[in-house]
Amino acid sequence: MNLLNGNKLIGWLLMLLVSSCVEPFTPEVLEAPNNYLVVNGFINVNGPTTIQLLRTQNLADEGLPPAEKNATVTIETDNGESYRLSETTNGIYEIENLNLNPTHKYRLFISTSKGKKYASDFVEVKQTPAIDEVTWKPVDREVQIYVSTHDSNNNSRYYRWNYESTWHFRSAFYTNLKYENGEVLFRDENDENIYDCWKTENSTTIELSNSIRLSQDVISNYKLLTLPYNSEKIAIKYSILVKQYALTPEAYKYWETLKKNTENIGTLFDPLPSQITSNIRCLSDPQEPVIGYISASTVQEKRIFIDSKELPKDWKTFAPVCYSDTMYLSRHSVVDYFKEGYNIPINGIYPQGSPFPIGYSYASKGCVDCTVWGTNVKPDFWE
Amino acid sequence: MAYFYRVFFSFFLLLWVSVASGYTQQLNEPLVTGNYSNASFKSFVQDLEAKTAYTFYFDPAAVDSITVDFSVNAKSLSQVLNQALQGTNLHFAISKQKQVFITKGRPILTSLPENFFDKGSAIVGEKQPQFAAEQYMPQQESRKKAASEIKLYEIGTSNSNKTGKANLAGTLRDAMSGEPIIGAYVYIESPAIGTASDQYGYYSLTLPLGRHELKIRGVGLKNSRRQIILNGDGRLDIEIEEDVRSLKEVLVEAEKDRNVSGLQMGMERLDIRTIKQVPTAFGETDILRVVLTLPGVKSVGEGSTGMNVRGGSTDQNLILLNNATIYNPSHLFGFFSAFNPDVLKSVELYKSAVPAKYGGRLSSVLEITAREGNKKQFTGSGGIGLLTSRLTLEGPIKKDKTSFLVGGRTTYSDWLLKQLPNKSFNNSEASFYDVNAHISHEINDKNSLYFTGYLSKDRFKLAADTLYRFRNQNASIKWKHNFHNQLYSVLTGTYSHYSYDISNEGNAVNAATLTFGIDQTGLQADFNYFPNAKHTVDFGASSILYQVSPGSLMPNNSESLIIPDEIQREKALESAVYISDRYDVSQRLSLSFGLRYSVFNALGPRDVFTYAPGVPKTETTMADTVSYGSGKTIATYHGPEFRFSARYGVADNSSVKLSYNRLRQYVHMLSNTASMSPTDTWKLSDSNIKPQVGDQVALGYYRNFRANTIEFSAEGYYKWMQDFLDYRSGASIIMNHHIETDVANAEGKAYGLELMLKKATGKLNGWVSYTYSRTLVRINDSSTSEIINRGEYYPGNFDKPHDFTLISNYRFSQRFSTSLNFTYNTGRPITLPLAKYYDGETQRILYSDRNQYRIPDYYRLDFAMNIEGNHKIQKLAHSSWTLAVYNLTGRKNPYSIYFKSENGKIRGYKMSIFGQPIPTITYNFKF
Repeated sequence: MNLLNGNKLIGWLLMLLVSSCVEPFTPEVLEAPNNYLVVNGFINVNGPTTIQLLRTQNLADEGLPPAEKNATVTIETDNGESYRLSETTNGIYEIENLNLNPTHKYRLFISTSKGKKYASDFVEVKQTPAIDEVTWKPVDREVQIYVSTHDSNNNSRYYRWNYESTWHFRSAFYTNLKYENGEVLFRDENDENIYDCWKTENSTTIELSNSIRLSQDVISNYKLLTLPYNSEKIAIKYSILVKQYALTPEAYKYWETLKKNTENIGTLFDPLPSQITSNIRCLSDPQEPVIGYISASTVQEKRIFIDSKELPKDWKTFAPVCYSDTMYLSRHSVVDYFKEGYNIPINGIYPQGSPFPIGYSYASKGCVDCTVWGTNVKPDFWE
Repeated sequence: MAYFYRVFFSFFLLLWVSVASGYTQQLNEPLVTGNYSNASFKSFVQDLEAKTAYTFYFDPAAVDSITVDFSVNAKSLSQVLNQALQGTNLHFAISKQKQVFITKGRPILTSLPENFFDKGSAIVGEKQPQFAAEQYMPQQESRKKAASEIKLYEIGTSNSNKTGKANLAGTLRDAMSGEPIIGAYVYIESPAIGTASDQYGYYSLTLPLGRHELKIRGVGLKNSRRQIILNGDGRLDIEIEEDVRSLKEVLVEAEKDRNVSGLQMGMERLDIRTIKQVPTAFGETDILRVVLTLPGVKSVGEGSTGMNVRGGSTDQNLILLNNATIYNPSHLFGFFSAFNPDVLKSVELYKSAVPAKYGGRLSSVLEITAREGNKKQFTGSGGIGLLTSRLTLEGPIKKDKTSFLVGGRTTYSDWLLKQLPNKSFNNSEASFYDVNAHISHEINDKNSLYFTGYLSKDRFKLAADTLYRFRNQNASIKWKHNFHNQLYSVLTGTYSHYSYDISNEGNAVNAATLTFGIDQTGLQADFNYFPNAKHTVDFGASSILYQVSPGSLMPNNSESLIIPDEIQREKALESAVYISDRYDVSQRLSLSFGLRYSVFNALGPRDVFTYAPGVPKTETTMADTVSYGSGKTIATYHGPEFRFSARYGVADNSSVKLSYNRLRQYVHMLSNTASMSPTDTWKLSDSNIKPQVGDQVALGYYRNFRANTIEFSAEGYYKWMQDFLDYRSGASIIMNHHIETDVANAEGKAYGLELMLKKATGKLNGWVSYTYSRTLVRINDSSTSEIINRGEYYPGNFDKPHDFTLISNYRFSQRFSTSLNFTYNTGRPITLPLAKYYDGETQRILYSDRNQYRIPDYYRLDFAMNIEGNHKIQKLAHSSWTLAVYNLTGRKNPYSIYFKSENGKIRGYKMSIFGQPIPTITYNFKF
């Protein structure tokens, strides 16, 4: 073996060390179709209950999650009463406010269209104390939003929150023009607003806290989320609706485990995750995994607004970055440019003193029409 | 030069007492007349040689201080010499052949005892026979270096009692290098009494008085014997020659009989010669890799030297290099073992029946003994491989008294990386080195000192901006003191240090260095007492001070925005006393009882968190912080550790052994990955982390066939482990100020059956082993309310039920041998992401039960060829070539299975390292 070959060999060896030899690996169990039942939602004691039934998908599946349709979903009381939920859209089952008696225990019973029966454990009702306040403050170039609550009966102790963020945003370019039937026309009051929009997003993280170590059941300024100074959400006005749920210790454990089982899977040195235990079981096959955890509680909500004017003056808040271009009627027709709807005219280009445009400035739809990203319907609660 | 030859000759004569010479001192001596005035001894002798027909033999160095200043007139030679040597330590002897021997300390004998050739009656005669040896060795207990097989050595002073027993002790040494011989058998056949030499080469036997033929057997040694007459307690140091032929084969002869007749079970001893036969991935002899081929020893994957012994986790092995604990036994994340094969002598692994002397780890003790260095002459050895080279030098500082050994090993992969045309390789670094130094010094017959130093360093940076550095530093000093034949003590001071740092320099803003370090300082005293033939008592005490820096994260430049963070240092003292007695009840039955009592004190200064009682320890249930001052005890744990083993000889060639042991472990490795990873840290027990406790019972059957050339052993074990640490879901181990919130106490059970068939000698040799074993873990911890897999037992990370290993060597000729090794085991368990689902609008992953699935099975075939140079004993350098192919079939065994989210899709990947046949070549030399 000459040195050159030796070198190659070592390089090759080290390549094994570095990039190694990575091949796709798909264990049979992952290819086997799996569609376990997923139950989202909770039994709302002081409001309408919404339960979503879905199915799990294989990791490689790309489509939307399949919904479990035509199931019979009922809330059952430990004294034998039951209330049936009705399916509204695919996989969504709803029932109006039942004003359930909080001294009873409740469970969710599901019978699928194929006749498989699932039931949760009977769970006690947790009375959620009111949210004391939702506050925010700018810290180190970000907005931190906190929630505080207390239970003077010291009964709640374990809390979960989720929230709905809504924010007002504007297109990068304002236009008073529109393209219609081969022509560029001025917009009028009948045309919909494509400059001011609102967008709503649900929380994607699991927010939990407890007061076990405290002598009183108080949660003080739990940090729910932070928004960076240049977030689009706080560029004009932002609103957050915080929903608070009191949990049983078991439910808390479930959510805590799920939270720790983050999406962080992957590298060589990552911890192996552990599975979570649902309180819903398939009655005919107790070994079948079911996903979800049913709690019964009241919900408390609170909404606040953050206006960009309230933010520190030196913050350079979000401004959309878009580029506009110009087209000249002498070279191109407006039909070519605007018919497909990818581009929207912004302004006419007028030669000095002439009322007739010789061209238009334009930008792509996403830069002009905010409905691409959100809704132009102002939410009812917006102030 | 003439004097040199005379001296040499006289020395020669000391050993080979002239058979023909007679013991007559004053007969027919010439008369001397002379006048000496301040004459040197040399001139005095020259004058005497001129005046008489006698020839003088002496060591010039011994007499150079003597002057002769007297006159004599017609005195006999003896009288003259008496006068000249008066007041000195010199003695003389005059032989019939008109030779005069001047010796230091004692006169030599010039004739054999009268009835030397009348062996039968030698000890029954009425008249106390005057043996040569006795004259040679007067009352003072002095040592002999017995090198002759035919000479009769007389031990002890005779007394009239001829029916009792006496103790014989001494050290076995290699005649060439003067190094002690470990694990060789010293025995007599009738009655069958024997023992094995310990790690200092020391043996102690209680034998009936009288004449015996002492036999010595050992790995790579010529089978040897010594003739002794035992009159009373005494010492006999034995020098044995190496068996040169042993270059050619794996000899496991020291264990020849040990399998059946030794009391110890669950113990494997590997000699470095055996280890060198096994091919490895980089052509580098790797002791840990060979240990991993033994039944009951597993690892989570190749490229990781973390051992799992009988279902124990990787932190449950006490790895000792000359008594100092090694925390990280590997280089470059486990691709190389941290031990230079050239400086090692042997490796002992205790899987069960761990002697009471050892403690502090639950699963095993791996005792690595380095060589002492050649006491006779300067030698060296080394090897040149594709990735590493090593060189070892050794020799006497003072012949037969003091020797040194220095060994170094390094890799040139750094240089090679730079030669490669690939950019990312150019920017990579991968280097390590290790240095061993050893000095052994014999102060006198009763006292010896041993010093060992060890340093290993790693630097690893691969096409990335993260630099890993690891460091082991160890030192030990031992003082061995022989009180008398039956009692010796070893006082050992050790220091171990392990640290790593990981620096990220890619992005100035988050450039930081993460460091971890553990220091361990220990002092221990061990006593070995051999009161009589039936008992061997070991007792002692030890104390270890631990100091841990659990982690610090520091910005490593001024632009970095990393907030400096340091976890409080930890400190603890682990102390133990132990006593054990090995009792040979009869020829067939031996028992060993041991008790170790260990105490652990977690010490301040430290702030310790307390948690609300009865609820899981989490960040949100922290109740209070308690501050402890320096040296204040935070928590104390203590408990007895019982050790028991028994052997019953069913027949001459078969035996049954039984053992039970309990061990306690106070330090824990924190790792939430399945394999040993570079960021593993060690944690001391404290008020929130309990010590681990493990119990094991083992039962074995041992049988040798065909005159001990084939050994069969079957061992079954059952093991319980409590309170070892497992991570909780999503635990973070790095820079965690309250690790107790991220770990759970697990309990485990492990059981298995290990079968092994070993052929130690012959053209074809090696071993075949099959192990069936299970390791099950349960986490159902009320204090953390962490429940995994519904609180049921689930397979541990290294649960590999079936394991088959074949190690075979075939010797075609003295100079050419091959080895073929095969390994198969079940794939290790893995937790798989089974499906994805939406929780509202968030996509989440559904995981299987922990460790519910397995990665593909592992198998590998390796082949190696050894070509030796010629076997002339005298030549400049002995050399050999090793050609090896690792993973001959190129099977892509999975090293790691992982899942990544790519473009919203989760895909599984299998990473194999060594997924192709890897040829290597190594040149070894010895001079």
